[in-house]
Amino acid sequence: MEPKRDLLKGSSNSLLLSLLDGKTMYGYQIVKELEARSQGYFKFKEGTLYPALHRLEKSGLISSKWELLANGRQRRNYNITAKGRATLAQEKTQWLDFFNAISLVLQPK
Amino acid sequence: MIHDLTQYLESIRTSARLDRNDEPCIMRELKAHIEDKLHELTESGLSEEEATKTCMGQMGSIKEIAREIYEAYSQGNWKQVLMAAMPHFTFGVIFMLNWWHYPQWLAAVLLLTAGMALYGWGHGKPAWVFPWLGYSLLPVIAVGLLLLYLPTKWSFLGLIIYFPLAGWWFLRIVIQITQKDWLFSTMMLLPLPVIIGWFMAITPSGRIDEKSLEMVNEYAPWIGLTFMMLAFSIGTFIRLRQRWLRVSLLAISGLLALTIAVYLATGRLVSASFIGPVLGMWAVLLMPPLLERQLKKGFWRSNKKKTPGETNETAII
Repeated sequence: MEPKRDLLKGSSNSLLLSLLDGKTMYGYQIVKELEARSQGYFKFKEGTLYPALHRLEKSGLISSKWELLANGRQRRNYNITAKGRATLAQEKTQWLDFFNAISLVLQPK
Repeated sequence: MIHDLTQYLESIRTSARLDRNDEPCIMRELKAHIEDKLHELTESGLSEEEATKTCMGQMGSIKEIAREIYEAYSQGNWKQVLMAAMPHFTFGVIFMLNWWHYPQWLAAVLLLTAGMALYGWGHGKPAWVFPWLGYSLLPVIAVGLLLLYLPTKWSFLGLIIYFPLAGWWFLRIVIQITQKDWLFSTMMLLPLPVIIGWFMAITPSGRIDEKSLEMVNEYAPWIGLTFMMLAFSIGTFIRLRQRWLRVSLLAISGLLALTIAVYLATGRLVSASFIGPVLGMWAVLLMPPLLERQLKKGFWRSNKKKTPGETNETAII
């Protein structure tokens, strides 16, 4: 089953920060990683990934650096910042609280 | 098919209306992503044609990507808000404090306006420069109006030399700004119908005389208020991300300022001094997007004549 578009949009910041936590990645790699880690559940419209990354960068939650590859091509790598980690921690708590509350209602013991 | 991807990227580039400082970086990144994707798809056994189709499908629609990019980059910071609202605010203050009849204040404001417009124009044309540019066109219009008051022979000379030259120069500026984004042309031209509305309202006889100056004196706080309204609108415009909100804001604030101007001065709205500037306001709102459409048609025609490889820096290798 595919996630509702609104749900994905609302959680895209948390997902991106989570993916970048502890690992430097470039755009294409992020798409692949997200797909793999969610077992194909989350699929970005790939072109809209970059505006989302750039918004996070403008907010100071991630940073980026261009890398020149051996084949002459360039690649932009993204890193989470300290501010991004703090935001991620907050969002994780909010998501877990929300998830627990929903579970309690949907699956009462 | 590779040509399709080049055109796909080019369409995103033109629709996203990016600042020229941000554009190369963003387009390079999208291009790198497409290259990775194509490589992976062709490695998996797809033909070039199938890979291109799949790639474009998974990237998303041009409209959606361009809109998201625009919204990620369109919002200005508070410094830009201040800079963009400043010319409207300055003119508002000049009238609200009734300093408009001190030539030294007017000269200082006009010099500041021209200086800021020239500075911004030479430094990458940021969004805040366009309101300054709009006001720096005022002396050009004022000289034109003064020429009409010259004795008939000289006035005629002004009409055949000054107006075509000023019109040509003005059109060149509007075209250059529209090539960047038509919304900036509208933002630049926004105060002109309001000023024309006030001008027509205070010169019911069609001539500037003692009575007109008395009327300016009387309505100065209201004139100031309409400029303040424009200052507030432009400040909000800079902070908004969504394009449709920006367009609506300019349309509503321009028409509202104009309505207030004419209603306060004449006490009615069904008059030539209202309908004329309203038509002017619609021209200000509609002319730039129509001009942009024409310019784009010209661009695509000239690009179609080129071979795919010639198209430019966003070409897919």
